[in-house]
Amino acid sequence: MTQIYFDYNAGAPLRPAVRDILRGFASAGALNPSSIHREGQRARRALERAREQVAALIGAKPNQIVFTSGGTESNNLAIFGTTKGRASRRAIVSSTIEHSSITAPLGELERSGYQIVRIEPNAEGVIDPLALLGSIDRKVALISIGLANSEIGTVQALESIAERSRAAGASFHIDAAQAAGRIAVNVATLGCDLMTVSAHKLGAPAGAGALFVRAPGLIAAQMQGGPQEKGLRGGTPNLLGAICFGAAADEARANLEVEALRLRGLVNRLYDSLAARIPGLRRNGSVDRSLPNTLNLTFPDTLGEMMLIGLDLEGVCVSMGSACAAGAVEPSHVLIGIGRTEAQARSSIRISLGWTTTGEEIERGAEIIARVWRRVVRVSGLQASRAEAAAEIGARP
Amino acid sequence: MSRRVVVAMSGGVDSSVAAAILREQGYDVIGMAMRLAPDASPHAGGGGSCCSAEDFEDARRVAELMGFPFYVIDLRQEFKRTVIDYFVKEYSSGRTPNPCAMCNREVKFDRLWERALALEADYVATGHYARVARDAKGGWRLWRARDAWKDQSYFLFNLSSDDLARTLFPLGDMTKQEVRQRARQLGLRNADKTESQEICFVQASDYADFVAARVESGAVGAGAIVDTAGRELGRHEGIHRFTVGQRRGLGIASAEALFVREIRAANREVVAVPKRQLLAKGLFASQVRMVNPLLAGQADLSVQVKIRSRHPGIAATLSTFAAGCGGLRAEVKFLAEFPAVTPGQACVFYDGNEVLGGGFIDAPMAVS
Repeated sequence: MTQIYFDYNAGAPLRPAVRDILRGFASAGALNPSSIHREGQRARRALERAREQVAALIGAKPNQIVFTSGGTESNNLAIFGTTKGRASRRAIVSSTIEHSSITAPLGELERSGYQIVRIEPNAEGVIDPLALLGSIDRKVALISIGLANSEIGTVQALESIAERSRAAGASFHIDAAQAAGRIAVNVATLGCDLMTVSAHKLGAPAGAGALFVRAPGLIAAQMQGGPQEKGLRGGTPNLLGAICFGAAADEARANLEVEALRLRGLVNRLYDSLAARIPGLRRNGSVDRSLPNTLNLTFPDTLGEMMLIGLDLEGVCVSMGSACAAGAVEPSHVLIGIGRTEAQARSSIRISLGWTTTGEEIERGAEIIARVWRRVVRVSGLQASRAEAAAEIGARP
Repeated sequence: MSRRVVVAMSGGVDSSVAAAILREQGYDVIGMAMRLAPDASPHAGGGGSCCSAEDFEDARRVAELMGFPFYVIDLRQEFKRTVIDYFVKEYSSGRTPNPCAMCNREVKFDRLWERALALEADYVATGHYARVARDAKGGWRLWRARDAWKDQSYFLFNLSSDDLARTLFPLGDMTKQEVRQRARQLGLRNADKTESQEICFVQASDYADFVAARVESGAVGAGAIVDTAGRELGRHEGIHRFTVGQRRGLGIASAEALFVREIRAANREVVAVPKRQLLAKGLFASQVRMVNPLLAGQADLSVQVKIRSRHPGIAATLSTFAAGCGGLRAEVKFLAEFPAVTPGQACVFYDGNEVLGGGFIDAPMAVS
C-alpha cells in the first residue's frame, strides 16, 4: 500500500535539503553559538545564515527575526510580550477563527480582565477589513489575525490594517505560520509589527519557529535566561532546528510561484473529481482568497471521524478539527465560526497538499476518498442511514 | 484476505489481551477506544476508570507492540443521550439503573458496530468474559464465561442472535489469572493494572451529587421515610440516595434493622421495613429480549434468574408476552420467595450456562 500524504497543514515531510543537513549533523561539532571559541563561532555563523534565510522568506531584515521553539511560542511571545509592556491598554482585537495558540492566550487575558474583540468572518471565512478597522481605538494594545487559516485555507486582506494600528498606537501581529512558504508574504507590504512563522509547515522538523519583531522594544521577553536573541528569548538556540528552518525557507521561497500554481491546479482537479463522484459535496472557505494547497470539504450524510479512519486504513492521510489529549477528534471551531452546524463540522475533512504531491496521487486519492465516503455514508449517517444499516446487518450471511 | 475485527479497547488488561489474541490468531485487527464520559466528570484524567488519555495511551502501546492500527472515536454525545440521561432519569424515578447493560446495548454493540461496518469489518470484539456459541440448529447463543467469578454475561443479555453472530469474546474461555499471565507473556505494561469496578463516569461515593446536579431542582429532594402503613418513621435527603434492599443511610433507630422496600418517586417517600418484608415471590420486567426469537412469547419456561450482577441466580418460571412495538414484557415466578427485587436492575434468564434473555425489572411480585 503506497501512502498518500494529504496533511501538509499539520506538518510537511522533510525537504531534500533538510534531509542532507540532518545526515551531516551526525558528524557535526558542538552547537552552542554563544561560545567564544572557534567551534562556537562556526555555530554562530550558521545560526546567522539561517536567520537571513528565514528573514528573506517574509521580506524582513535578519536582525528582526527572533528564533523560538515554534509557532505556538511565537504567538504566545507576541501576545504576552506585547501586553506585559503595555499595561494601560486593556483591549485586543482578533477573530473567531484563530489557531488555538492564539485563542488560548487570549482566553487567559480575558479572564484577567482584558476585553477581547473577536471579529466574525463571513461564511467563506473572510474577515472584513472594515470591521477590523472599526474596532481599533486607543484602548487596543494588539491586533492579532491569522494571514491564512490552517483549516479552511482562507487568506485575509490585511494590507489596510497597519496604518490605523500605528495611528492608534497599537501593535499589529500576523500569524503567518500557515501562509509563509505557500504564498508570497512580505512584512513591508503588510506593515505588521510582529509576524509568526513556523518551520515544520515548510518541511523542516518541528521544534523551530520565529517571530518577526519590527523594532526592539515592541515586546518584552517571556523566556528569561540569557542575552540570546537580543534578550527577547533566553536559552541556548536550537541551532539544528534553525539551520533546517533556514534551508526549508530557502527551498520554499525559490519555488514559490511555480509551486503555488501547480498546487492550485492539483487542488482544483481533486475537488472537481470528488464533486463529480459525491453529490452534495461542499467546499468550505473562499475559493478566490485561498491558500493554493488547502481543500476543506463537508461530505453529505457522513461522519468525518469514520472517513478519517477509513482513509487511514487505505493509506490516505487527511485530518479534521483538532485532536484532544486522548486522541479523539473535536469538531472544528473554525467551521463553527463560519456558520457551519456541529453536524456539518463533524462531517468535514481537511485535505492539504505540498511539495511531494503528484497528479497520480490526486487521481488515486480522489478514487479512494469517494470509495470510503460511499462506504461510510451507507452506515454511519447518524440519522437517515441507521435503518439502512439495520437492513444490511439483517442481510449478512 | 483475513477477517477484519474492530476491538473495543479501554487500555485495561482484558481488552488489551483480547486484541492481542485476535491478532495472534491472524485477524485483521483494528483497535478502537471510545470516548464516552463527559470532560467535566470527576474521573476525567483519573486512574482506575476508563476513557482517560493515559488509559488510551496504554491501549495505543498494545496496538504498536502487536502491530495493528488504533484509533480513538468520540461517542460522548451518544453516551450522554443513551446512558447518562437514562442513569439520571432512573434514579430520579426511584429506580436503580444498570448503566453497563444499557451502554452495552446502546453504545458498545450498536454504535460501535455501525462504525465497524463503515470500515468493512466482519466482527466486533470486546474483553468481556462471556462466550458465544452456536446451538444445534445453528443459532448464535450467549453463554456464561468459563471463569464463573468474572462472568459478565449478565450485562450482555441484550445482544440478539444477529448481534452475537458478529461478536467475538476472546476471553470467554480464560480465567482472569490466565489473562494476566498472557499479558505478562506478551510484555504488556498494563498486565497488573487494577480492575475498574465502578461506573466509568462517576465514582460510587459521588453518584448522588452527580444525579442531583442533573435534574430539575425538587425532583429528587427530601422526603419522608414511612412504614407500610404510611406512618412517618423519619426523613431522608433525596430518593436517589436509596436502592431497594438498602440498609445503610436510613438513620432510624428501631428494634429491628430496617431496609428499603419501595421508593415512591411521585411523593418522594421511601418505604422501610424489617428484613422479612423484603421478600417477593417473583418480578415483572419490561424491555425484555430473548436471544432466541423462538422463545419470545412462551409461557412457564424453567429458568434461573439473576436479579443483580453479584447474585447466584434463583430457580423460577418465566413467561413472556408481546408488549407492543415488537417489545416483550416478562413475568417471573420464583420457586422460593426471595428478598430485595430492585426496580431498574437487569434480570437475566439462564438455562444452565446459556443466557436465554433478559430485561429490566419494573416491580416485585408481592407476597400475598
